[in-house]
Amino acid sequence: MSGLLVLLCRLAVGGVFIYASLDKLAHPQAFAEVIHHYRIVPMALLHPAALLLPMVEFVVGAALVLGLGRRGAALILAVLLLVFMGGIGSALLRNLDISCGCFNTDGGHGVGLSLLWRDLGLLLLCLPPLLLRNGGPGFERTPHK
Amino acid sequence: MALSTPPRFELHLPWSVSLKEAGLLLVVSMLATGGWWLSSGARLPLQADSTVYELELEAPLLSVTEALTFYDEGVHLFVDTRDETAGQTIPGSLFIRAATFDDDLLENFDFMFPEDALILFGNGNLTRTSNIAARLKARGYENLHILQGGLSGWQSGGGDISVTDQSITDESVTDQGAGS
Repeated sequence: MSGLLVLLCRLAVGGVFIYASLDKLAHPQAFAEVIHHYRIVPMALLHPAALLLPMVEFVVGAALVLGLGRRGAALILAVLLLVFMGGIGSALLRNLDISCGCFNTDGGHGVGLSLLWRDLGLLLLCLPPLLLRNGGPGFERTPHK
Repeated sequence: MALSTPPRFELHLPWSVSLKEAGLLLVVSMLATGGWWLSSGARLPLQADSTVYELELEAPLLSVTEALTFYDEGVHLFVDTRDETAGQTIPGSLFIRAATFDDDLLENFDFMFPEDALILFGNGNLTRTSNIAARLKARGYENLHILQGGLSGWQSGGGDISVTDQSITDESVTDQGAGS
């Protein structure tokens, strides 16, 4: 039962992150502009962040779906979601009228409270793969004792 | 021997394992990013050019990679906005320059329509190209992009180049003034 729950959470969160990474990987310049609109990341880190972040989303999302290092993957994605929520929250506090850049770099959803709720939901879905002993079917070499 | 049934939802968080896995995944991500960056044709420079992000441009920027794709598709029109063409341009480009804007627009009247998708390029001076974009927008051209890096970026990205004899003359500059 818990294995099934963990599997569903892994597929949902991992799938969302893989999907979210694809457009950003294809358009790093546009994604850098999206990050710049948040006015949080310093200019020196803007392009490295625009290159690294989508790849982390893709690799870690794929690892979670496949069950490879699912605890580490769930931990990274949970931290990423907290960072995203912080970015969205700060944009809301500063009344920035920008697109979130969550799934595509060409316009898309504007930042709003609904995004915070969505990220909170994804964050909760990260907890079963992180906390439960039974990781469900996957490529985990040995169950964690 | 009695068999004990494990609880259905047994909590278990080995921090050392989680952190080790997370570290490994981050290293893999960094290596993959490096490989992806090295293998891409037109690489995003690691150091961002602040002028690109701080200017309020009249048209969105287009990367060389995207422009090359559009060039191959043959749907977009390329517009050379440089006053000094230096003998080279993108094949098939039309010339719309600040100093001879009205004349150039008239000359291209039969080739360039407001509904056309235009890719403007210059010598890398985004403000200058953006000013041309603003003037074109005022004439009803809405589907505009600015090629990032201008002609030199296009050349670096492997784009075709043709030789042109188009160049602005001092006389035409005197006739129309310096433009916007």
